[in-house]
Amino acid sequence: MIRIENLEVDLGSFSLRRIDLDIGRGEFFILLGPTGAGKTVLLEAVAGLLPVTGGRILADGQDITALPPEKRGIGIVYQDYALFPHLSVMENIRFGLRYTRMEKQKEASWVEGLVQRLGLDKLVHRQVSRLSGGEKQRTAVARALAVKPAVMLLDEPLSALDPNFRQDIRNLLKQIHTEFGMTILMVTHDFSEVLELGSRMAVLNNGLIEQSGTVDRVFSRPATEFVARFLGNAAPTETPGPHMPR
Amino acid sequence: MALFVKTGSLSPARALMWACSLAVVAIIVVPLAQMVVQPSWQDLRDCLRDRQVLGAIGLSLEAAAMAAAISLVCGTPFAYLLARKEFAGKKLAESIIDLPIMIPHPVIGIAILAVASPDHWLGKFMLEAGIEIMGSLTGIVAVLTFVGLPFYVNTVKNGFEAVDQRLENVARSLGASFGSAFVRVTLPLAWRSMLAGVIMCMARALSEFGAVVIVAYHPMIASVLIYERFTAYGLKYSQPVAVVLILISLLLFVMMRMVGKPRGKGP
Repeated sequence: MIRIENLEVDLGSFSLRRIDLDIGRGEFFILLGPTGAGKTVLLEAVAGLLPVTGGRILADGQDITALPPEKRGIGIVYQDYALFPHLSVMENIRFGLRYTRMEKQKEASWVEGLVQRLGLDKLVHRQVSRLSGGEKQRTAVARALAVKPAVMLLDEPLSALDPNFRQDIRNLLKQIHTEFGMTILMVTHDFSEVLELGSRMAVLNNGLIEQSGTVDRVFSRPATEFVARFLGNAAPTETPGPHMPR
Repeated sequence: MALFVKTGSLSPARALMWACSLAVVAIIVVPLAQMVVQPSWQDLRDCLRDRQVLGAIGLSLEAAAMAAAISLVCGTPFAYLLARKEFAGKKLAESIIDLPIMIPHPVIGIAILAVASPDHWLGKFMLEAGIEIMGSLTGIVAVLTFVGLPFYVNTVKNGFEAVDQRLENVARSLGASFGSAFVRVTLPLAWRSMLAGVIMCMARALSEFGAVVIVAYHPMIASVLIYERFTAYGLKYSQPVAVVLILISLLLFVMMRMVGKPRGKGP
Protein backbone atom coordinates (compact mmCIF):
# COMPACT_ATOMS: atom_id res chain seq x y z
CA MET A 1 0.00 0.00 0.00
CA ILE A 2 2.60 2.52 1.16
CA ARG A 3 6.20 1.88 0.28
CA ILE A 4 8.93 4.24 1.44
CA GLU A 5 12.23 3.81 -0.35
CA ASN A 6 15.47 5.33 0.86
CA LEU A 7 13.66 8.48 2.00
CA GLU A 8 15.72 11.50 3.02
CA VAL A 9 14.37 14.68 4.60
CA ASP A 10 16.73 17.49 5.49
CA LEU A 11 15.41 20.20 7.80
CA GLY A 12 18.78 21.76 8.52
CA SER A 13 19.01 21.04 12.22
CA PHE A 14 17.51 17.57 11.81
CA SER A 15 17.34 15.00 9.04
CA LEU A 16 15.71 11.68 8.26
CA ARG A 17 18.12 9.30 6.54
CA ARG A 18 17.67 6.17 4.44
CA ILE A 19 14.13 5.40 5.57
CA ASP A 20 12.76 2.16 4.11
CA LEU A 21 9.30 0.97 5.10
CA ASP A 22 6.66 -1.22 3.54
CA ILE A 23 3.14 -0.91 4.95
CA GLY A 24 0.54 -3.32 3.64
CA ARG A 25 -3.06 -2.53 2.77
CA GLY A 26 -5.27 -2.50 5.84
CA GLU A 27 -2.30 -2.77 8.17
CA PHE A 28 -2.06 -1.01 11.55
CA PHE A 29 1.59 0.00 11.51
CA ILE A 30 3.21 1.58 14.54
CA LEU A 31 6.13 3.98 14.50
CA LEU A 32 7.84 3.92 17.87
CA GLY A 33 10.71 6.04 19.08
CA PRO A 34 11.89 8.52 21.67
CA THR A 35 11.06 12.23 21.55
CA GLY A 36 12.97 13.94 18.76
CA ALA A 37 13.52 10.72 16.80
CA GLY A 38 11.77 12.18 13.73
CA LYS A 39 8.45 10.35 13.93
CA THR A 40 6.29 13.41 13.17
CA VAL A 41 8.73 14.51 10.45
CA LEU A 42 8.31 11.11 8.78
CA LEU A 43 4.51 11.33 8.98
CA GLU A 44 4.51 14.85 7.51
CA ALA A 45 6.86 13.77 4.73
CA VAL A 46 4.52 10.86 3.87
CA ALA A 47 1.57 13.28 3.88
CA GLY A 48 3.47 15.62 1.54
CA LEU A 49 3.67 18.41 4.09
CA LEU A 50 7.48 18.50 4.16
CA PRO A 51 9.83 18.57 1.19
CA VAL A 52 11.70 15.34 0.55
CA THR A 53 15.37 15.62 -0.37
CA GLY A 54 15.84 12.04 -1.58
CA GLY A 55 14.14 8.70 -2.08
CA ARG A 56 10.56 7.85 -3.05
CA ILE A 57 7.13 7.32 -1.54
CA LEU A 58 4.86 4.92 -3.40
CA ALA A 59 1.14 4.37 -2.85
CA ASP A 60 -0.26 1.28 -4.56
CA GLY A 61 2.85 1.22 -6.72
CA GLN A 62 2.37 4.83 -7.88
CA ASP A 63 5.12 7.33 -7.08
CA ILE A 64 3.48 10.09 -5.01
CA THR A 65 6.70 11.79 -3.85
CA ALA A 66 6.06 14.89 -5.94
CA LEU A 67 2.29 15.02 -5.45
CA PRO A 68 0.88 17.87 -3.34
CA PRO A 69 -0.77 16.80 -0.05
CA GLU A 70 -4.31 17.30 -1.37
CA LYS A 71 -3.74 14.77 -4.17
CA ARG A 72 -2.39 11.95 -1.98
CA GLY A 73 -5.52 10.72 -0.25
CA ILE A 74 -3.64 10.55 3.03
CA GLY A 75 -5.32 11.93 6.15
CA ILE A 76 -3.45 13.14 9.21
CA VAL A 77 -4.59 13.46 12.83
CA TYR A 78 -2.33 15.38 15.17
CA GLN A 79 -1.64 14.82 18.83
CA ASP A 80 -3.40 18.04 19.86
CA TYR A 81 -6.19 17.53 17.29
CA ALA A 82 -5.54 20.69 15.21
CA LEU A 83 -9.27 21.36 14.92
CA PHE A 84 -10.25 24.52 13.07
CA PRO A 85 -11.11 26.85 15.97
CA HIS A 86 -13.39 29.10 13.93
CA LEU A 87 -15.67 26.24 12.90
CA SER A 88 -18.21 24.08 14.72
CA VAL A 89 -17.85 20.32 15.14
CA MET A 90 -19.98 19.64 12.05
CA GLU A 91 -18.17 22.28 9.98
CA ASN A 92 -14.88 20.66 10.96
CA ILE A 93 -16.13 17.22 9.93
CA ARG A 94 -17.54 18.48 6.63
CA PHE A 95 -14.47 20.61 5.81
CA GLY A 96 -12.96 18.26 3.24
CA LEU A 97 -16.19 17.05 1.64
CA ARG A 98 -16.28 19.83 -0.95
CA TYR A 99 -13.10 18.38 -2.45
CA THR A 100 -14.58 14.90 -2.83
CA ARG A 101 -16.92 13.87 -5.62
CA MET A 102 -19.48 12.33 -3.34
CA GLU A 103 -23.15 12.76 -4.25
CA LYS A 104 -24.99 15.13 -1.94
CA GLN A 105 -27.41 12.49 -0.65
CA LYS A 106 -24.71 9.92 -0.08
CA GLU A 107 -22.58 12.60 1.54
CA ALA A 108 -25.33 13.51 4.01
CA SER A 109 -26.00 9.90 5.04
CA TRP A 110 -22.27 9.14 5.24
CA VAL A 111 -21.64 12.11 7.54
CA GLU A 112 -24.68 11.32 9.65
CA GLY A 113 -23.53 7.74 10.07
CA LEU A 114 -20.01 8.85 10.90
CA VAL A 115 -21.21 11.36 13.47
CA GLN A 116 -23.35 8.72 15.17
CA ARG A 117 -20.63 6.10 14.94
CA LEU A 118 -18.21 8.39 16.75
CA GLY A 119 -20.77 9.55 19.31
CA LEU A 120 -20.74 13.16 18.17
CA ASP A 121 -24.42 13.50 17.27
CA LYS A 122 -25.22 15.73 20.25
CA LEU A 123 -22.20 17.95 19.69
CA VAL A 124 -22.41 18.83 16.02
CA HIS A 125 -23.29 22.49 16.53
CA ARG A 126 -20.85 23.05 19.36
CA GLN A 127 -17.74 25.22 18.91
CA VAL A 128 -14.63 23.06 19.20
CA SER A 129 -13.20 25.21 22.00
CA ARG A 130 -16.00 23.89 24.21
CA LEU A 131 -15.21 20.19 23.71
CA SER A 132 -13.40 17.86 26.10
CA GLY A 133 -10.13 16.22 25.02
CA GLY A 134 -11.85 12.97 24.03
CA GLU A 135 -14.55 14.81 22.09
CA LYS A 136 -11.91 16.84 20.28
CA GLN A 137 -10.02 13.69 19.33
CA ARG A 138 -13.20 11.99 18.08
CA THR A 139 -13.99 15.10 16.00
CA ALA A 140 -10.48 15.08 14.54
CA VAL A 141 -10.80 11.38 13.65
CA ALA A 142 -14.27 11.95 12.14
CA ARG A 143 -12.94 14.86 10.10
CA ALA A 144 -10.12 12.74 8.72
CA LEU A 145 -12.43 9.77 8.02
CA ALA A 146 -15.08 11.94 6.32
CA VAL A 147 -13.06 12.22 3.11
CA LYS A 148 -12.41 8.44 3.08
CA PRO A 149 -8.63 8.58 2.91
CA ALA A 150 -6.79 5.49 1.74
CA VAL A 151 -4.26 5.91 4.53
CA MET A 152 -4.57 7.57 7.90
CA LEU A 153 -1.57 8.98 9.75
CA LEU A 154 -2.03 9.34 13.50
CA ASP A 155 0.51 11.42 15.38
CA GLU A 156 0.36 10.30 19.01
CA PRO A 157 -3.42 10.52 19.00
CA LEU A 158 -3.80 9.37 22.60
CA SER A 159 -0.97 11.11 24.41
CA ALA A 160 -2.78 14.40 25.07
CA LEU A 161 -5.84 12.63 26.44
CA ASP A 162 -6.96 12.14 29.98
CA PRO A 163 -6.48 8.43 30.97
CA ASN A 164 -10.30 8.14 31.19
CA PHE A 165 -10.66 8.93 27.49
CA ARG A 166 -7.56 7.06 26.36
CA GLN A 167 -9.01 3.56 26.38
CA ASP A 168 -12.20 4.89 24.79
CA ILE A 169 -10.31 6.35 21.81
CA ARG A 170 -8.04 3.31 21.63
CA ASN A 171 -11.11 1.08 21.23
CA LEU A 172 -12.48 3.49 18.66
CA LEU A 173 -9.28 3.30 16.60
CA LYS A 174 -9.37 -0.50 16.72
CA GLN A 175 -12.97 -0.52 15.53
CA ILE A 176 -12.33 2.01 12.78
CA HIS A 177 -9.39 -0.01 11.57
CA THR A 178 -11.48 -3.18 11.43
CA GLU A 179 -14.68 -1.64 10.07
CA PHE A 180 -13.19 0.61 7.42
CA GLY A 181 -10.28 -1.69 6.56
CA MET A 182 -8.09 1.37 6.65
CA THR A 183 -4.31 1.44 6.44
CA ILE A 184 -3.07 3.23 9.53
CA LEU A 185 0.40 4.51 10.37
CA MET A 186 0.46 5.61 13.99
CA VAL A 187 3.20 7.33 15.93
CA THR A 188 3.48 6.61 19.62
CA HIS A 189 5.95 6.18 22.41
CA ASP A 190 3.55 4.19 24.55
CA PHE A 191 4.32 0.44 24.55
CA SER A 192 0.82 -0.56 25.59
CA GLU A 193 -0.56 1.14 22.46
CA VAL A 194 1.96 -0.74 20.33
CA LEU A 195 1.00 -4.05 21.85
CA GLU A 196 -2.74 -3.47 21.70
CA LEU A 197 -3.07 -1.86 18.29
CA GLY A 198 -0.09 -2.67 16.11
CA SER A 199 0.50 -5.62 13.80
CA ARG A 200 3.90 -4.45 12.59
CA MET A 201 6.15 -1.68 13.80
CA ALA A 202 9.35 0.24 13.24
CA VAL A 203 11.64 1.81 15.82
CA LEU A 204 12.99 5.20 14.82
CA ASN A 205 15.94 6.86 16.48
CA ASN A 206 17.70 10.08 15.56
CA GLY A 207 16.31 10.08 12.02
CA LEU A 208 17.12 6.43 11.27
CA ILE A 209 15.03 3.26 11.32
CA GLU A 210 16.73 1.02 13.85
CA GLN A 211 14.47 -1.97 13.26
CA SER A 212 11.17 -2.86 11.64
CA GLY A 213 9.05 -6.01 11.66
CA THR A 214 6.17 -7.62 13.49
CA VAL A 215 5.52 -6.33 16.98
CA ASP A 216 6.36 -9.77 18.45
CA ARG A 217 9.59 -9.95 16.53
CA VAL A 218 10.84 -6.48 17.41
CA PHE A 219 10.01 -6.90 21.09
CA SER A 220 11.44 -10.42 21.36
CA ARG A 221 14.49 -9.97 19.15
CA PRO A 222 15.77 -6.40 19.18
CA ALA A 223 18.19 -5.93 16.29
CA THR A 224 20.31 -3.16 17.77
CA GLU A 225 21.56 -2.14 21.16
CA PHE A 226 19.40 0.97 21.05
CA VAL A 227 16.22 -1.05 20.38
CA ALA A 228 17.08 -3.47 23.17
CA ARG A 229 17.72 -0.65 25.60
CA PHE A 230 14.73 1.38 24.46
CA LEU A 231 12.29 -1.51 24.71
CA GLY A 232 13.83 -3.03 27.78
CA ASN A 233 14.03 -0.03 30.01
CA ALA A 234 10.39 0.92 29.82
CA ALA A 235 7.93 -1.63 31.09
CA PRO A 236 4.56 -2.00 29.37
CA THR A 237 1.87 0.01 31.16
CA GLU A 238 -0.71 -2.74 30.87
CA THR A 239 -1.06 -6.45 31.50
CA PRO A 240 0.85 -8.30 28.78
CA GLY A 241 -1.40 -9.13 25.85
CA PRO A 242 -1.02 -11.95 23.33
CA HIS A 243 1.73 -10.00 21.53
CA MET A 244 3.74 -9.45 24.64
CA PRO A 245 7.21 -10.99 24.53
CA ARG A 246 7.79 -13.58 27.21
CA MET B 1 -1.75 46.83 44.69
CA ALA B 2 -2.61 44.65 47.66
CA LEU B 3 0.06 46.45 49.65
CA PHE B 4 -1.45 49.78 48.65
CA VAL B 5 -4.92 48.72 49.75
CA LYS B 6 -3.80 47.23 53.05
CA THR B 7 -1.39 49.82 54.27
CA GLY B 8 -2.64 52.88 52.40
CA SER B 9 0.94 53.75 51.44
CA LEU B 10 3.09 53.08 48.40
CA SER B 11 6.48 51.44 48.40
CA PRO B 12 9.17 53.53 46.61
CA ALA B 13 9.22 51.07 43.68
CA ARG B 14 5.46 51.25 43.21
CA ALA B 15 5.51 55.03 43.56
CA LEU B 16 8.16 55.21 40.82
CA MET B 17 6.06 52.90 38.60
CA TRP B 18 2.98 55.10 39.00
CA ALA B 19 4.96 58.31 38.53
CA CYS B 20 6.55 57.04 35.32
CA SER B 21 3.19 55.82 34.00
CA LEU B 22 1.56 59.19 34.70
CA ALA B 23 4.50 60.99 33.09
CA VAL B 24 4.17 58.86 29.92
CA VAL B 25 0.44 59.54 29.68
CA ALA B 26 1.03 63.25 30.34
CA ILE B 27 3.69 63.51 27.61
CA ILE B 28 1.09 62.34 25.09
CA VAL B 29 -2.08 63.86 26.48
CA VAL B 30 -1.03 67.36 27.58
CA PRO B 31 0.09 68.77 24.17
CA LEU B 32 -2.79 67.05 22.34
CA ALA B 33 -5.36 68.23 24.90
CA GLN B 34 -3.97 71.75 24.66
CA MET B 35 -4.23 71.59 20.89
CA VAL B 36 -7.82 70.36 21.05
CA VAL B 37 -9.11 72.84 23.64
CA GLN B 38 -7.24 75.92 22.44
CA PRO B 39 -9.17 76.73 19.22
CA SER B 40 -12.58 78.29 19.77
CA TRP B 41 -15.78 76.71 18.42
CA GLN B 42 -15.90 79.52 15.87
CA ASP B 43 -12.38 78.65 14.64
CA LEU B 44 -13.33 74.97 14.29
CA ARG B 45 -16.57 75.82 12.46
CA ASP B 46 -14.70 78.11 10.07
CA CYS B 47 -12.13 75.40 9.55
CA LEU B 48 -14.80 72.83 8.70
CA ARG B 49 -16.22 75.20 6.09
CA ASP B 50 -12.81 75.84 4.56
CA ARG B 51 -12.67 73.98 1.23
CA GLN B 52 -8.87 73.87 1.29
CA VAL B 53 -8.87 72.18 4.70
CA LEU B 54 -11.52 69.65 3.73
CA GLY B 55 -9.73 68.96 0.46
CA ALA B 56 -6.40 68.41 2.21
CA ILE B 57 -7.91 66.10 4.83
CA GLY B 58 -9.79 64.20 2.13
CA LEU B 59 -6.61 63.83 0.12
CA SER B 60 -4.74 62.62 3.23
CA LEU B 61 -7.38 59.97 3.87
CA GLU B 62 -7.53 58.96 0.21
CA ALA B 63 -3.75 58.65 -0.15
CA ALA B 64 -3.44 56.80 3.17
CA ALA B 65 -6.21 54.38 2.15
CA MET B 66 -4.50 53.75 -1.19
CA ALA B 67 -1.18 53.11 0.53
CA ALA B 68 -2.91 50.70 2.93
CA ALA B 69 -4.60 48.93 0.00
CA ILE B 70 -1.27 48.51 -1.80
CA SER B 71 0.29 47.23 1.43
CA LEU B 72 -2.60 44.79 1.86
CA VAL B 73 -2.27 43.39 -1.65
CA CYS B 74 1.52 43.24 -1.88
CA GLY B 75 2.39 42.96 1.81
CA THR B 76 0.13 40.01 2.67
CA PRO B 77 1.95 37.40 0.55
CA PHE B 78 5.29 38.75 1.78
CA ALA B 79 4.17 38.63 5.42
CA TYR B 80 2.99 35.04 4.88
CA LEU B 81 6.33 34.11 3.34
CA LEU B 82 8.21 35.59 6.30
CA ALA B 83 5.90 33.86 8.79
CA ARG B 84 5.98 30.40 7.21
CA LYS B 85 9.19 29.86 5.27
CA GLU B 86 12.83 29.66 6.16
CA PHE B 87 15.07 30.86 3.36
CA ALA B 88 18.55 32.24 2.82
CA GLY B 89 18.59 35.97 3.47
CA LYS B 90 15.41 35.97 5.56
CA LYS B 91 17.00 38.04 8.33
CA LEU B 92 18.19 40.52 5.72
CA ALA B 93 14.70 40.70 4.19
CA GLU B 94 13.21 41.35 7.65
CA SER B 95 15.78 44.09 8.31
CA ILE B 96 15.09 45.70 4.93
CA ILE B 97 11.38 45.82 5.75
CA ASP B 98 12.21 47.68 8.97
CA LEU B 99 14.45 50.22 7.23
CA PRO B 100 11.72 52.82 6.50
CA ILE B 101 11.06 53.03 10.26
CA MET B 102 14.68 53.99 10.93
CA ILE B 103 15.53 56.27 7.99
CA PRO B 104 14.97 60.04 8.49
CA HIS B 105 11.82 60.86 6.55
CA PRO B 106 13.25 63.57 4.27
CA VAL B 107 15.79 60.95 3.17
CA ILE B 108 12.88 58.73 2.06
CA GLY B 109 11.52 61.60 -0.04
CA ILE B 110 14.93 62.27 -1.57
CA ALA B 111 15.41 58.53 -2.32
CA ILE B 112 12.04 58.30 -4.07
CA LEU B 113 12.75 61.43 -6.09
CA ALA B 114 16.13 60.01 -7.12
CA VAL B 115 14.48 56.84 -8.45
CA ALA B 116 11.77 58.86 -10.19
CA SER B 117 14.25 61.17 -11.96
CA PRO B 118 14.68 60.77 -15.73
CA ASP B 119 18.33 59.78 -15.10
CA HIS B 120 17.19 56.51 -13.49
CA TRP B 121 15.88 53.68 -15.68
CA LEU B 122 12.76 53.38 -13.54
CA GLY B 123 12.17 57.15 -13.70
CA LYS B 124 12.66 57.03 -17.46
CA PHE B 125 10.18 54.16 -17.72
CA MET B 126 7.62 55.99 -15.58
CA LEU B 127 8.06 59.17 -17.61
CA GLU B 128 7.39 57.23 -20.83
CA ALA B 129 4.37 55.57 -19.19
CA GLY B 130 3.07 59.00 -18.17
CA ILE B 131 3.47 58.32 -14.43
CA GLU B 132 4.34 61.50 -12.57
CA ILE B 133 5.84 61.26 -9.08
CA MET B 134 6.92 64.81 -8.30
CA GLY B 135 3.99 66.92 -7.14
CA SER B 136 1.34 64.27 -7.74
CA LEU B 137 -1.02 61.99 -5.84
CA THR B 138 0.99 59.05 -7.21
CA GLY B 139 4.10 60.46 -5.54
CA ILE B 140 2.26 60.93 -2.25
CA VAL B 141 0.91 57.36 -2.36
CA ALA B 142 4.40 56.03 -3.19
CA VAL B 143 5.84 57.81 -0.15
CA LEU B 144 3.02 56.73 2.17
CA THR B 145 3.29 53.11 1.01
CA PHE B 146 7.04 53.24 1.65
CA VAL B 147 6.58 54.45 5.23
CA GLY B 148 3.47 52.35 5.97
CA LEU B 149 4.55 48.96 4.61
CA PRO B 150 6.75 47.94 7.58
CA PHE B 151 3.84 48.45 9.96
CA TYR B 152 1.52 46.35 7.81
CA VAL B 153 3.98 43.56 7.07
CA ASN B 154 5.21 43.18 10.66
CA THR B 155 1.68 43.19 12.13
CA VAL B 156 0.36 40.66 9.64
CA LYS B 157 3.45 38.47 9.91
CA ASN B 158 2.80 38.19 13.66
CA GLY B 159 -0.83 37.36 12.88
CA PHE B 160 0.14 34.54 10.51
CA GLU B 161 2.68 33.19 12.99
CA ALA B 162 -0.10 32.95 15.56
CA VAL B 163 -2.04 30.58 13.27
CA ASP B 164 -0.80 27.03 13.84
CA GLN B 165 0.66 25.74 10.60
CA ARG B 166 -0.72 22.30 11.36
CA LEU B 167 -4.21 23.68 10.76
CA GLU B 168 -3.14 24.41 7.19
CA ASN B 169 -1.49 20.98 7.01
CA VAL B 170 -4.72 19.27 8.04
CA ALA B 171 -6.69 21.34 5.51
CA ARG B 172 -4.28 20.24 2.77
CA SER B 173 -4.56 16.59 3.82
CA LEU B 174 -8.36 16.93 3.58
CA GLY B 175 -8.06 17.95 -0.06
CA ALA B 176 -7.71 21.75 0.07
CA SER B 177 -5.19 23.34 -2.27
CA PHE B 178 -2.70 25.84 -0.86
CA GLY B 179 -4.97 28.74 -1.85
CA SER B 180 -8.11 27.09 -0.54
CA ALA B 181 -6.43 26.29 2.80
CA PHE B 182 -5.34 29.92 3.05
CA VAL B 183 -8.82 31.27 2.31
CA ARG B 184 -10.75 28.81 4.48
CA VAL B 185 -8.38 28.44 7.44
CA THR B 186 -5.63 31.06 7.62
CA LEU B 187 -7.63 34.07 6.52
CA PRO B 188 -10.56 33.63 8.95
CA LEU B 189 -8.05 33.27 11.78
CA ALA B 190 -5.71 36.09 10.73
CA TRP B 191 -8.03 38.74 9.25
CA ARG B 192 -8.08 40.75 12.47
CA SER B 193 -4.30 41.06 12.27
CA MET B 194 -4.68 42.18 8.67
CA LEU B 195 -7.21 44.81 9.71
CA ALA B 196 -4.88 45.91 12.52
CA GLY B 197 -2.10 46.12 9.91
CA VAL B 198 -4.27 48.29 7.67
CA ILE B 199 -5.05 50.56 10.64
CA MET B 200 -1.37 50.82 11.56
CA CYS B 201 -0.39 51.49 7.96
CA MET B 202 -3.07 54.17 7.52
CA ALA B 203 -2.22 55.76 10.84
CA ARG B 204 1.42 55.97 9.86
CA ALA B 205 0.53 57.31 6.44
CA LEU B 206 -1.79 59.99 7.83
CA SER B 207 0.94 61.28 10.11
CA GLU B 208 3.64 61.46 7.43
CA PHE B 209 5.05 64.87 6.62
CA GLY B 210 8.84 64.88 6.12
CA ALA B 211 8.95 62.67 3.04
CA VAL B 212 5.75 64.00 1.44
CA VAL B 213 6.85 67.63 1.65
CA ILE B 214 9.87 66.80 -0.51
CA VAL B 215 8.06 64.70 -3.11
CA ALA B 216 4.75 66.56 -3.33
CA TYR B 217 4.17 69.88 -1.56
CA HIS B 218 1.17 70.12 -3.86
CA PRO B 219 -1.44 68.67 -4.02
CA MET B 220 -1.49 69.48 -0.33
CA ILE B 221 -2.25 66.79 2.21
CA ALA B 222 -3.37 67.73 5.73
CA SER B 223 0.06 67.53 7.40
CA VAL B 224 1.59 69.80 4.76
CA LEU B 225 -1.34 72.24 5.04
CA ILE B 226 -0.91 72.37 8.83
CA TYR B 227 2.78 73.12 8.35
CA GLU B 228 2.05 75.78 5.74
CA ARG B 229 -0.53 77.54 7.90
CA PHE B 230 1.83 77.43 10.87
CA THR B 231 4.74 78.99 8.96
CA ALA B 232 2.58 81.53 7.12
CA TYR B 233 0.00 82.53 9.77
CA GLY B 234 1.14 81.05 13.08
CA LEU B 235 -0.19 78.66 15.70
CA LYS B 236 -3.74 80.02 15.79
CA TYR B 237 -4.44 79.13 12.15
CA SER B 238 -2.75 75.74 12.10
CA GLN B 239 -4.35 74.33 15.25
CA PRO B 240 -7.98 74.04 14.03
CA VAL B 241 -6.85 72.06 10.98
CA ALA B 242 -4.83 69.76 13.23
CA VAL B 243 -7.79 69.27 15.57
CA VAL B 244 -10.11 68.36 12.69
CA LEU B 245 -7.51 65.89 11.34
CA ILE B 246 -7.08 64.32 14.78
CA LEU B 247 -10.84 63.97 15.33
CA ILE B 248 -11.52 62.50 11.89
CA SER B 249 -8.62 60.07 12.25
CA LEU B 250 -9.79 59.08 15.72
CA LEU B 251 -13.31 58.44 14.46
CA LEU B 252 -12.04 56.38 11.54
CA PHE B 253 -9.79 54.22 13.68
CA VAL B 254 -12.41 53.65 16.38
CA MET B 255 -14.81 52.47 13.67
CA MET B 256 -12.23 50.12 12.16
CA ARG B 257 -11.35 48.70 15.56
CA MET B 258 -15.02 48.09 16.31
CA VAL B 259 -15.33 46.12 13.07
CA GLY B 260 -12.27 44.07 14.03
CA LYS B 261 -13.38 43.40 17.59
CA PRO B 262 -14.00 39.68 18.24
CA ARG B 263 -17.57 38.79 19.12
CA GLY B 264 -17.83 36.88 22.38
CA LYS B 265 -15.07 34.54 23.39
CA GLY B 266 -12.38 33.73 20.89
CA PRO B 267 -11.37 30.21 20.06
